[in-house]
Amino acid sequence: MRLRRIAFPLSYRRQLALFLTPYLVGTLVLVVLPALATVAVSFTDYSAFTGYSTSHLPTWVGLDNFRRLTETPLVRLSLNNTLIFAGLAVPLRLAGALVLALLLGGRRPGTGLYRAAVYLPTIVPEAAYTLVWLWILNPVYGPLNLVLGALGLPQPDWMAEAATARLAIVLMALVQIGEGFVVVLAARQNVPAALYEAAEVDGANRWQSFWRITLPLIIPWLLLLLCRDLLVSVQNTFTPSFIMNYGGPYYATTFLPLLIYEISFDFADWGLASAVLVVVYAWILLLIWGVRNLVEGLRNRVEADEA
Amino acid sequence: MRPSPAGVAYHLAGLAVAALFLLPFFWAIVASLRQPGLPPARTVEWWPHPAHWDNYAELFRVVPMGRYLLNSLIVVAVAVPLTLLTAALAGFALSQLGRVWRRRLVTTSVVLLLIPGMAVWTFRFHILEALGLIDSLAALIVPALAGGSPLFVLLFYWACWRVPFELYESARLDGAEAWTVWWRIAWPLVRPTTAAVAVLAFALYWGDFSTPVLYIFRPEIYTLPIGLQLLRQMDASNLPLLMAGSMLMIAPVVVLFLVIQRLFLRDLTLERVE
Repeated sequence: MRLRRIAFPLSYRRQLALFLTPYLVGTLVLVVLPALATVAVSFTDYSAFTGYSTSHLPTWVGLDNFRRLTETPLVRLSLNNTLIFAGLAVPLRLAGALVLALLLGGRRPGTGLYRAAVYLPTIVPEAAYTLVWLWILNPVYGPLNLVLGALGLPQPDWMAEAATARLAIVLMALVQIGEGFVVVLAARQNVPAALYEAAEVDGANRWQSFWRITLPLIIPWLLLLLCRDLLVSVQNTFTPSFIMNYGGPYYATTFLPLLIYEISFDFADWGLASAVLVVVYAWILLLIWGVRNLVEGLRNRVEADEA
Repeated sequence: MRPSPAGVAYHLAGLAVAALFLLPFFWAIVASLRQPGLPPARTVEWWPHPAHWDNYAELFRVVPMGRYLLNSLIVVAVAVPLTLLTAALAGFALSQLGRVWRRRLVTTSVVLLLIPGMAVWTFRFHILEALGLIDSLAALIVPALAGGSPLFVLLFYWACWRVPFELYESARLDGAEAWTVWWRIAWPLVRPTTAAVAVLAFALYWGDFSTPVLYIFRPEIYTLPIGLQLLRQMDASNLPLLMAGSMLMIAPVVVLFLVIQRLFLRDLTLERVE
């Protein structure tokens, strides 16, 4: 015992602190500090690169960047695009994850393979998967338009029109719902089986037990997913919109991440880019606050019901 | 035994769902095997005649794909083990902390998951530059020092937290140090999580497109995602070659995922093992 203490002079707690150090310090340096720096720089005029040196220092301009934010057409266009994308993609992604998790939630043999197929598009490299979709959406030879044509449906020139180009990015986002799918599966498997058995004894059909048992118990998870998906699905548009048409046609697929990239690295206007990010942070805080309140409210209601 | 009608309906629905999600990959494989230069088929083609496997070799002749492949392999070979180490240790440590600090750090990690990548792109440039890592493969590897993603740390935390606590307690009563408790007890018991995080981390570094776009400029250290874009810039109409390149990037992830998918999609309960 004594010898060991000399060999390892750190207490158990200090050793734990040591284990946490790379994660905490690394995250502080690579995530927290860069994110906080944008808040400070949003009040300055700052173009980071002068011939790839970073000598040009930020100068204070107050709220000027936020004024420019409302006046720059590209920023407004991109915010608009992002809202359209999120408004379409997020509800559909959540609905898809929920339906598939309910469908494939059982324990029949073969289920594992179906689940794997659903998850697969989420984990493959986006840069490659986007090229696959570009082929699928090829207006003349692409399999999707050939199928549409065979069914007598219109065959749009996907990447040439603003509306269909946006729809193409939404389509790709709709098959990459593995994360939400796994979360809903887990949430559902944590619903006690005894509840369903009791409902069956009471003569409830499957539809009723979904509305009365499954949905109320998994809704906090759905809200968390909603909150996360409003950010993740938008962030994930970067690679598809970059590769498919570099934000085009006519900036129709320039969503927030590509906008930030363009303002920062093409226009070297880090002050403006930071101001856009501060708006995004305000949006994130609002989301966290809203979902927290909703979850608390639901919990209180469930407790009131039980009392 | 005759299959029940409900069972048949279930499998038909399952197969339809699987087909829908797998069809893009199938179409990509078919397209990757067509002879380059021929006009594409005007009807949906199910298998090219003859299958032109040489497209996969051609990839390495038209662009230095071998170089890019090697760079990508170097990145994952360093970053994935490093991520497993840092994330596993941090997750274990979280599970051992007292209630107050555990809750604080878990909440912080969950909030960190909400910070989108675009928020850190610009100023990470300065930090990597100050560290002398811009325009080097290390820029792609450095997140591994921080556990790769808070998600990986949280996955390890949940796994370690589900291990019966008496196991940790009895080891500590025997005088074991934190290292020993982690290595002898937690690490062997969380193996399914380790496998899952290994594949997720592989996919993260292997498929990373934004980091090389932002921080890598020298062609010698391009990775596969950038190589694929080069291939496209050279000849966007050579579809068989583009699809072969895409499949070269997709296939390793698919293989790894299929190896571990049992662990990954089955072990889903969030309760503590009693």
